[in-house]
Amino acid sequence: MQFGMALLLIVILCSVAGSLIVQQRSAMEYVTRYGEKQADLILSLGLDHVFSTPWFIAVMILLCLNLTFCSIVRLPKTVRQAKALLHRAGHAAADHSLTDKQHEKLTAFLQQRGFSTRQSGESTVYYKHLFGFYGSFLTHLSFLLLLIVGALVMVTATVTDTTVMPGDTITLEDGTLLTVNAFRIEDETGSLDYTSLLTLTNPNTQRTLSREIRVNEPMNFGPYKVYQQTYGTAGKVLIENLENGAAEEIYLTESCFLTLNGVDGLFYQALYPGYVQEEDGTVTLITSSSYAYHDPVYDVLSVAEGTMTPVLAFPEDEMTLGNVRFTFMEPAAYPGLRIKTIHSELLYALYAVFALMVIGLALCFFAVPTAITVTREGYALHSSKPQTGLMIDIEACLTQEEN
Amino acid sequence: MDILFFAALIVYFAAAVIQLCGIALGKNAWCRIARWALLGGFVLHTAFTAWRGVVAQRIPLANQFEFASGFAWSAALLGLLLHRRLRQEWVLAASIPVAFLVLSYAAFQPMEIKELMPALRSTWFALHIGSATFSYAAFAISGGLGVYYLMQLKKGRAETDVRLLQTDHMIYRLICLGFLLLTVVILSGAIWAEQAWSRWWSWDPKETWALITWILYAIFLHQRIRKKWQGKRMAWFAIIAVICVLFTFAGVNKLLPGLHSYAV
Repeated sequence: MQFGMALLLIVILCSVAGSLIVQQRSAMEYVTRYGEKQADLILSLGLDHVFSTPWFIAVMILLCLNLTFCSIVRLPKTVRQAKALLHRAGHAAADHSLTDKQHEKLTAFLQQRGFSTRQSGESTVYYKHLFGFYGSFLTHLSFLLLLIVGALVMVTATVTDTTVMPGDTITLEDGTLLTVNAFRIEDETGSLDYTSLLTLTNPNTQRTLSREIRVNEPMNFGPYKVYQQTYGTAGKVLIENLENGAAEEIYLTESCFLTLNGVDGLFYQALYPGYVQEEDGTVTLITSSSYAYHDPVYDVLSVAEGTMTPVLAFPEDEMTLGNVRFTFMEPAAYPGLRIKTIHSELLYALYAVFALMVIGLALCFFAVPTAITVTREGYALHSSKPQTGLMIDIEACLTQEEN
Repeated sequence: MDILFFAALIVYFAAAVIQLCGIALGKNAWCRIARWALLGGFVLHTAFTAWRGVVAQRIPLANQFEFASGFAWSAALLGLLLHRRLRQEWVLAASIPVAFLVLSYAAFQPMEIKELMPALRSTWFALHIGSATFSYAAFAISGGLGVYYLMQLKKGRAETDVRLLQTDHMIYRLICLGFLLLTVVILSGAIWAEQAWSRWWSWDPKETWALITWILYAIFLHQRIRKKWQGKRMAWFAIIAVICVLFTFAGVNKLLPGLHSYAV
């Protein structure tokens, strides 16, 4: 057990270091924050990523081994102890004497406390919570399973982050179609809440499910769990080919050159949420990445006849370059989705382990196996743990009787 | 209705003063008065909490003020329940000062009622945060009883004295209760984090310090069972471990920002 305690102490030290030293930053940031010497030490010991260092993982593996010995290997001994308690109590001599009145009081007290009885020769054995013997086993086993199943859940899950424009559909690995029908940023109370209305369709089974997702409310569909992760705002432009009348709306998420003939066209650079116009007419662009794009401004270059001209365009502005007309539209907010595939069996196993841990601890602490041998002359208490509380209660009960 | 809060604070303060005087002077009657005062403060505190919950239309545990108030309320409730079980005045020696001190801390936090932020709108909210208040309260009272134990030792009581044996046992039971509830906090938090952020565990400072607290008490419980740590050693441990609990409760929010920063 001392080895296990030592491992737990190491986990504490690692955790303290991992919470006090900022994790997963660049080497330069550590030099700036802590100085060159300390940064060298932090980087060489891996304290910049404590929880994924080989030595921390080694400690966790040792902890698993230790827990294996604490639970599985000790189980036969626990079973023997559980079986032996009643036998031992049945053959034990009393080590506290009782008067007749006290005997009466004690038996009434034990019955009131819910003890079961068993006759063993001259003595009566009062016993309770024999299943509590397995509390420690269940707790250690659940902790071991927690580490193993938890690691399996993390290793087997695949996570993909993607952005999907409202109205667009993407195809997932197994052919499932994911459509973002709509996305909104505010909820009905006016709080910032990012909500996507999704439709998922499995073409093989023809199963379709539509629902809204937001923080705390991911969507489960087959092996997929879809989370509302982030959001963004994209520019939107209507492109019309003046030669054949073809038209298309395009989202602008990154710098791009929009052209038909490869020479004339529009070079999109950035979208700004707003601007401030000074008294002298100069315009200062607002670069804050706030969600609100109240006065959006498109920063573009018009490219025509070999000349590039910087232009600030606003929604509903139009530009004709070559045979193409560009109409700037109101920007559109779009969701960033996290798509996770999980093995549901592992997930249920993990929930079961959680429940097992709570049950194990409850048994450990609140179901202490106890047997009390009571004869006409006296009584003796047997338990796997110190039963100070019960002893004090019995003493109080017997003293009260004497008074 | 904030008057209810300050009235509860004043009554808790009065109860704490009367209780401490009663213990110092050995006047049991004073301790009884303190208990009634605690009950009065608890009623006021409950009324305030209920009113705040009705106005906010949610469980009032969403920020540091509300959590601290819930922590103090849990300490008062645990004290009253322990007294009901044991019928001994000394069991309130820790819960009254804890309720008062934690509620005093709450008084220094921003009190305005705010809309529950989307990240906190979850079915796990009540279980996760509710069990945290009771867990912290159980640990804090065990620490307070640790102080009481050492004071009684200093006054000349022997470690074999029934009252000290009872105190020692009570410290142990409270730590068991707090540990079980802290386990519920951590596990329910992991499930909630997976629902909200897709990750079970992210080594966020609050998570990490909850784990540190959990391991610290786990080490202690092992030592208690295997090495028979009792008495003075147990009392000292209960006091020292409370520092870790308080750091997890308040220190992390102030000093180590992370995913739980909305708890400020």
